[in-house]
Amino acid sequence: MTAPASVVVVGGGIAGVTAARQLRAGGFSGTIRIVEAEPLCYDRPPLSKAAFVDGAGIESLAFATADEYAAAGIEVIAGVRAAGIRAGAVALADGRVLEAEGIVLATGARARPPAFPGGDLPAVGVLRDYADAMRLRAAASPGATAVVVGAGLVGAELASGLTELGARVVLVDPDPVPGARAFGDALAGHLHAMHAAHGVDVRVGAVVRAEAEGDRVAVRLDDGASVSADAVVVATGIEVDTSLAESAGVEVDRGIVVDDAGRTSLLGVWAVGDATRRRRPDGVLAPPDGHWETAELDGRAVAADILGAQPASRGAGWYWSDRYGVHVEVVGRLVGDGVEIVRRAGSGLPAAVLRLDEGMLVGAASIDDPNTVRAARRLIDRRVPVTAAELADPALSLRDLLRAAR
Amino acid sequence: MAERIPVARVGDIGDEEAIVVPRATAGTVDDIGVFFSAGVYSAIDNTCTHEEASLAEGWIEDGTVECPLHGSAFCLKDGTVTGPPAPRGVAVHRVDVDGDRILLTPDPSRLA
Repeated sequence: MTAPASVVVVGGGIAGVTAARQLRAGGFSGTIRIVEAEPLCYDRPPLSKAAFVDGAGIESLAFATADEYAAAGIEVIAGVRAAGIRAGAVALADGRVLEAEGIVLATGARARPPAFPGGDLPAVGVLRDYADAMRLRAAASPGATAVVVGAGLVGAELASGLTELGARVVLVDPDPVPGARAFGDALAGHLHAMHAAHGVDVRVGAVVRAEAEGDRVAVRLDDGASVSADAVVVATGIEVDTSLAESAGVEVDRGIVVDDAGRTSLLGVWAVGDATRRRRPDGVLAPPDGHWETAELDGRAVAADILGAQPASRGAGWYWSDRYGVHVEVVGRLVGDGVEIVRRAGSGLPAAVLRLDEGMLVGAASIDDPNTVRAARRLIDRRVPVTAAELADPALSLRDLLRAAR
Repeated sequence: MAERIPVARVGDIGDEEAIVVPRATAGTVDDIGVFFSAGVYSAIDNTCTHEEASLAEGWIEDGTVECPLHGSAFCLKDGTVTGPPAPRGVAVHRVDVDGDRILLTPDPSRLA
């Protein structure tokens, strides 16, 4: 297949922008346009972390300046939605039709809306885009009460950020140890305990309904308790909007189905990032991942495929979380087959958790020790054999194990 | 021309490791990280352009440093970004080895 003469990327998050930039960096000579519904193309992870606490301007989150896009020959069409796609063209909501021999769908996901009655009250929101973050931040004045529903990555980071802003935080999750299925019990328990240690009122349960109470909102929990709050933020996961893909006849199964190169079922249409689910070579559909680096690597893979190159092989998935002044990193899997080895800091608290399966490291997580996870990544991806005794020896860094294997 | 500052001796900086020269010592607007990677000494502004983090604390391998916070990658030779999320590169500074002394010459445009 010869490379298309024009590419339109629908969506300007990390996946879409990476696809566009890597196409150009790889020598693509045709037109490249990015369609972004938001005012500009910006990075999302800081919205629940530093940018939320600092109230950073949206420009500070931009992937590139207008001059940099111009220099790269990438046209950003911002502030307008794509309304439909068909082979060779993308129709915009303002009536424009963009010629597109290649289409890259990078439409992302939206926050799962509140599942309880009263979820549509003005004081109840979600966190997905910049406006969401600043709306919640504005409601989090010192002394205000904020209810965070869901203690996953976003909920946990928001509980931390809201606390830092001086708000009183009530964190509600039905799971007594949220994150255990991702991090394992030891690390999940330690991370979750940080909420209470920082004064967060942690409730195990679910929100039954929210009711207006003047400007405030009364949040009823399933144990009969009621919390009077200034703001409620629901962080219970994402859902994918596949309507654009479906309108073009692209195969969808709770996400746009793609192969390793990001190709959809329709020739000339690729998809990247949170909107996608990967069909593995064995035919099984992988669960959606939703992490930032996965989206970035998706963008690189699609650019390579459009250029007729082989996408780089991928290693174990990696992500981070910042909360209460600590930096958490995770690579690979921390649950399932194998044994867990916990490395403790001088304080006795877990500093790193490692998972060993059949003589190979398969996952690692660390708190304020990123280089342990960076070393673990390489041990996993290079399939360096390790032993439980080596992993448990605090005098031996994972970097030492990597060096010894060279 | 900024003067050459002795910052370490050969052997002080381990393989794939780095030291930090404080801005007060270097007379610069940012701290400077002096790296020894793949057998080559190099020096760059030490603060990541994405968020506040010391690059010298990052993962150093084969002429590249990965920021310890979010993994942005910088080329130690020319300071360019080779992996996101950092929006722009970092300044590079000259490093010479004279006998067993490692000498740093800050980029004049980065002097405080």
